[in-house]
Amino acid sequence: MSTRSGADRELVIRGAHVLDPSSGLDGVMDVRISGGRVAEVGEDLHGVRELDASGLHLFPGFVDVHAHWRTPGREEEEDLESGSAAAAAGGFTGVVMMPNTDPVLDRPALVSGLVRRAERESRVRAYVAAALHAGLAGSELTEMRLLKEAGALCVSDDGPGTQNADVLRSGMLYARSAGLAVLLHCEDRSLAKGVVHDGVAAALAGVPATPASAEDAATATALVLAAETGARVHITHVSTALSAALVGFFKGRAGVTADTTPHHLTLTDDLVRTLEGLYRVNPPLRPEGDRREVIEALRDGTLDFVATDHAPHAAQRKELPLQEAAPGFLGHETAFAALYTELVLGESLPLSRLVEAMSCAPGRWVGGLGSLAVGAPADIALADLEEEWTVERESLSSRSHNSPYLGRRMRGRIVGTIVGGELVHDRMGAKLGVRT
Amino acid sequence: MSARDFISLENVGREELLEVMELARDQEEGRLGRLLEGRTVCLAFFEPSTRTAASFELAARRAGADVVSLSSGTSSISKGESLVDTVVTLDRLGMDALIIRHPAAGAASLASRHTSAAVVNAGDGCGQHPTQALLDLYALGKSLGGFEELAGRRAAIVGDILHSRVARSVIPAFGTAGIEVSLVAPATLLPREADVWRLPVLGSVDEALEWGAEVLYMLRLQKERMSGALVPSVAEYARYYGVGRRHLRPGVRVMHPGPVNRGVEIASDVVLDGSSLIPDQVSAGIAVRTAVLALATGSVERAAA
Ligand SMILES: [Zn+2]
Repeated sequence: MSTRSGADRELVIRGAHVLDPSSGLDGVMDVRISGGRVAEVGEDLHGVRELDASGLHLFPGFVDVHAHWRTPGREEEEDLESGSAAAAAGGFTGVVMMPNTDPVLDRPALVSGLVRRAERESRVRAYVAAALHAGLAGSELTEMRLLKEAGALCVSDDGPGTQNADVLRSGMLYARSAGLAVLLHCEDRSLAKGVVHDGVAAALAGVPATPASAEDAATATALVLAAETGARVHITHVSTALSAALVGFFKGRAGVTADTTPHHLTLTDDLVRTLEGLYRVNPPLRPEGDRREVIEALRDGTLDFVATDHAPHAAQRKELPLQEAAPGFLGHETAFAALYTELVLGESLPLSRLVEAMSCAPGRWVGGLGSLAVGAPADIALADLEEEWTVERESLSSRSHNSPYLGRRMRGRIVGTIVGGELVHDRMGAKLGVRT
Repeated sequence: MSARDFISLENVGREELLEVMELARDQEEGRLGRLLEGRTVCLAFFEPSTRTAASFELAARRAGADVVSLSSGTSSISKGESLVDTVVTLDRLGMDALIIRHPAAGAASLASRHTSAAVVNAGDGCGQHPTQALLDLYALGKSLGGFEELAGRRAAIVGDILHSRVARSVIPAFGTAGIEVSLVAPATLLPREADVWRLPVLGSVDEALEWGAEVLYMLRLQKERMSGALVPSVAEYARYYGVGRRHLRPGVRVMHPGPVNRGVEIASDVVLDGSSLIPDQVSAGIAVRTAVLALATGSVERAAA
């Protein structure tokens, strides 16, 4: 991003409906950007370069704390260029890359190398989550203080998780001393032997199933340890009613935050009945009852924000029977439209709460992002809330196509994304054309 | 004539069941002849199964079909070769029907999306095993005096329902035929949401008989599940979920998709008892599978479109 041209120049975005709950902005306004930062928000602003955004909504850029860009190791599925293009297309201006790459991001040199590459190759701000344990193996601590110096934002063992409670406890204690947040994928592997939620769909389909208790038991353990150790713990992709309630119970008793995903908020395990590998994801899609409770937990702030768990997979890893397919969905490009369509239009979630959950709250968690306050980085998502579109393979920027929304009709689309004052995604050049 | 898949019995209607039953009877009575002459049938078995494979192959050959057979034991289906690749390759051979057995539920429907041939599911993981349920219906109907005699009868499905593709086909097929079904299994061998079938769940074969079961449909218990965390011991399992001579009241019929673990699901002296329909099930296999292949390949006119 350091080589980006124009970041120092002034730009005025005119006439958009500006919505930023963190600064209390909600109305048609102009935004002046200077030196890559928000310089002024007000009425009737003008400048040498102007961008006419009338009819559009303008939000602080979205921040995604859980993404798999497959670099290093599986660049044929995604790399920094395609991953960040997908993020930008979805209005994301900040993304945290998870450490389960090949090799695993468990050494300072790997982390600093990736941070430097991201500065050159990523269109959006890209942060690194380093491993909590060597090789994500859940036994030996990584050099967390050195990892932090190398540029790691937080630590996580993501998918494999930390299966031993005593080891997890030590990891939290050490992370606290290192000043790093711990991002946890909660799943008790001794219970998680299946590939779908153990519910009605699994009973009928005959696919190996994992009970909700696999997530709930691990979430409970993590929360108890967070309360005891005082670590800054973030629980990612909460998908069950009970886990959401547990998070609620521990709010105020522990320094804990939590997110859920667009797919757990908008899809259910009914899709498992198709037996298609495309619909395998971890944690698995849940029944409608869980989905409802997770929506309510997001609405009332028990779940702080949304993260996509963007997980690209090559076709040959998904075009398999459900139980043989790799788990994971694409997420960046459909997150806003899916949530706007299903939650804002479908469940009357206030649009401001969605912006809070996609921009402000995760931006605060990462630090210094997700706000249009004067002086904040000029990271912006521009959305056309009227546009109707269908998710199609061809329209995806990711190198992979494993979106569970393929063929779905959506309302609302990101038409422009600005990072540090520069347009990094411009879907409708004519519409967003900058007038000089 | 377009291809007709036999992948699941979940949404199969009474008319379609009846059609298979009548064709199977025609086959048994020698009225069908070599009606698969000129057709090519492929068997792709990604999981070993001598009995089902042999039954399908005999059915196809006796009806005059050319048979191409691949199995995981042969080099044709190598480890790691994807299902889709194999299906696409077979499709180029110009097959009319693909009979597929695979360790993962959904394999047959995935295959059907990559071939224009009719796909017959010969067992996919814990998913479905439609021809097994069809031959069960045929054998049971025959012993009771016809398909119409099935309605209103009571059948208990006993054993490892959780891991059984046979159960997932038998439950809807028996229901569609008008049979009242109950489930008999410990909670460890039932899906967590077994209520989805809206069937009574009973605690033992004795309870099933009290409930009025005339048919005891015994499921095979896999060796690795016989003792340990799912079932305490073979002895306890056999006591509550096995059928012994003491259960053989007049009118009670015992069925099993085979192979039987003697002394576990069924006491040794019951397997070949007059009340056991197991031999009838095996012999119904050829007739029913011929009927299925005839319908799948469009070799006979269909009653219900
Ligand atoms: Zn995860």
